[in-house]
Amino acid sequence: MMEGTLALGAEAVGCAAFDAGIKGAFGYPGTPSTEGFEFVEAMIKAAPEGRVAQWAANEKVAYDLALGVSYAGHRTLVTMKHVGLNVALDAYANSALTGVRGGLVLLVADDPGMHSSQNEQDSRRLAEFAWLPCLEPSTVQECYDFTLRSFELSEALGVPVMVRLVTRLAHCRAALTRQPTLAPTGLGVVPRSSVQDWVLIPSNARHRYVELLAKQPRLLQELATLNTLTAGSGRRGVALAGMGRAYFQQLALEHPALAALPRLEIAAYPVDPALEAAFLAQVDEVYVFEEDYPVLEARLGLRGTCLVHGRLDGAIPRTGELTPRQLKDALALATEAGKAPSSLDLPIRAPRLCDGCGHLDAFEALQEALRSLGLSDARVFGDIGCYTLAAQEPMSAIHAVVEMGASISMAVGAALAGQTPAVAVIGDSTFGHSGLPALLTAVDSGANVTILILDNRVVGMTGQQPSQALDRVERMVLGMGLPEAQVQVLLPLPRQHAVNVQAVQDALRHPGPSVLVFRRECIQSLRRGVLKDHDRDEKARLEQACCTLEVQP
Amino acid sequence: MSEPRVHGIVLCGVGGQGVLSLAQIVLEALRRSGLYTLQSEIHGMSQRGGSVHAQVCYAEVPLSSPIIDEGCAELLIALEPLEALRYVAMLRMNGHLVVSEEPQKDMDGYPPLADVYAALKAVRGAHLVDTEELARRLHHRQAGGMVLLGLASTFLPVPNSTWREVIAQRFEPKGSLITKRNLEAFEAGRGLAPAKTGA
Repeated sequence: MMEGTLALGAEAVGCAAFDAGIKGAFGYPGTPSTEGFEFVEAMIKAAPEGRVAQWAANEKVAYDLALGVSYAGHRTLVTMKHVGLNVALDAYANSALTGVRGGLVLLVADDPGMHSSQNEQDSRRLAEFAWLPCLEPSTVQECYDFTLRSFELSEALGVPVMVRLVTRLAHCRAALTRQPTLAPTGLGVVPRSSVQDWVLIPSNARHRYVELLAKQPRLLQELATLNTLTAGSGRRGVALAGMGRAYFQQLALEHPALAALPRLEIAAYPVDPALEAAFLAQVDEVYVFEEDYPVLEARLGLRGTCLVHGRLDGAIPRTGELTPRQLKDALALATEAGKAPSSLDLPIRAPRLCDGCGHLDAFEALQEALRSLGLSDARVFGDIGCYTLAAQEPMSAIHAVVEMGASISMAVGAALAGQTPAVAVIGDSTFGHSGLPALLTAVDSGANVTILILDNRVVGMTGQQPSQALDRVERMVLGMGLPEAQVQVLLPLPRQHAVNVQAVQDALRHPGPSVLVFRRECIQSLRRGVLKDHDRDEKARLEQACCTLEVQP
Repeated sequence: MSEPRVHGIVLCGVGGQGVLSLAQIVLEALRRSGLYTLQSEIHGMSQRGGSVHAQVCYAEVPLSSPIIDEGCAELLIALEPLEALRYVAMLRMNGHLVVSEEPQKDMDGYPPLADVYAALKAVRGAHLVDTEELARRLHHRQAGGMVLLGLASTFLPVPNSTWREVIAQRFEPKGSLITKRNLEAFEAGRGLAPAKTGA
């Protein structure tokens, strides 16, 4: 009974995509979605057979890559975290109109409780917004099964399908039973007769939108078996989705009376209004347990036929992660009295930059340069990555962190509004993700900004994935049209401190845009030898190039 | 007969100490012992020297919740003494705490160590382990985790042969010497177990 692979929820989605016969997997790293891509990437590396796995520069690029694979007639998976879908939203929402050829499944991992994110938005809302189906598993096995099902649905309905996970499920490890792997056979490219469906000029898009809306009843029909209504005794019921479903199911094992409650279980969206009506007809009072926004709760409440308890009436806290304890409290179940918590005052052990991290040296140079120019109170615009940790005391080196790439554009905006100095700090991967267009505007505007690109040669925070801008950040910057005098590559090491401080001072004094690239490999990736092969090959290539140069007459 | 009772283990420590690897060994050993298992872990920021914890649930029936409620865990394995105190309330009344005495003080405001030990000793069912001393004796700097696991294993329904098999497989890629030393550390930890009567 225990056979099978052990996998995280996110990994189960990747595994299912492989078994569903995908041709390509794409993504941008982001906790808790990262392992979904990494798992399928490892499977593809072990048995390529024409399959590809490719990290993309950002989530929109990843989504478009997947859409291209679909256009070519193949199945494809694209992975990202919830805020990544904001970046890919243009592609996602419009792919609802084009539809898909090969099945396209989008793995989105939400992060209620914000374990490692800047917000706790609910991706189910974005699926609804785009008129697209969303499947929501509650166990690791469902992660696998629902993903397989999603590929079938995607091709049957001709639309992309979202598989929505939350942190607890994405990072839940359990045994998995797999199905046989399908070969990545394709349906062939979009035929000539359907090409206009993919050309979203207004005259076509108007038709496609009508057709998308016309698909909705079929969508409800295809999803119907995933949502179930279980009759029970009494007029008090529960509506469950995602982890709410998982937690309730387990509570019902320990409290058999719960199993007798009328129960609406949702695993796919949109939900058929007829199913909701049938459920509401059986109850006068309902408890809604779902993860993140009160999506189901709001729908049930709108009908006004019964008392609805959940996040909106405070039965469940309005923000943060759903927990089994919250279910127990809401249902007034007895809780076990365990050991008393420690009476000792326990200070928080905050994550911090690793000892010997190059970011520390870069921040020290920045702070000293600001101090030496009498600018200790300067505001520094930060970005998303390990270096975000510098916002904490005692360093307090960055003073705004909003979303990927915001550092540069916010600094430009502030500079245009007259703020001096206007300093941006951004990592190499984040720069490649969405700093590039911001830098183009910075150069065009001529705004007085100093931009520090902290280049650790990998995507550090999410586990040292390859950075797409590897070792060519300065060339990219120059390519944007910044003069060579305003672009410097620096080595963030204590022994270079004086040189680095001087460089930052010069950049701060310069009345236009300047870029300082602080490059030193992440010490974690160095320890793991992530770039060892790359660096060896690159060295050999350079030596080869030098020899060729030497023998030329 | 299946018992619907769910058992929970909490593992905690500091990023980089190997909490998640230890959790995976526990998960695999329980699974191979014919139990239904689930593990929950939080990645991400925690890699950078912050608090890390994982939970392992097991039962004789299929499970769906990877989260253990407060007051319900049977066992807490703590690689760091201060971190242990954060999770004491996760333990049921008769739960066991297996904790390393070795502090990771690289943080602001670490309380006096004597206070931390006193608080730990006040927990009924606490087993404080001088992992530093054991590591010295075993000539194995990183023995701590395996020693704790060895002691903790005596509270779990897994045969010793299964533990050894899982540990050996886990360290196999790192060579036979490392495997041997980890098995030694595990056995040293088992040797610390309080004598059982009638077992």
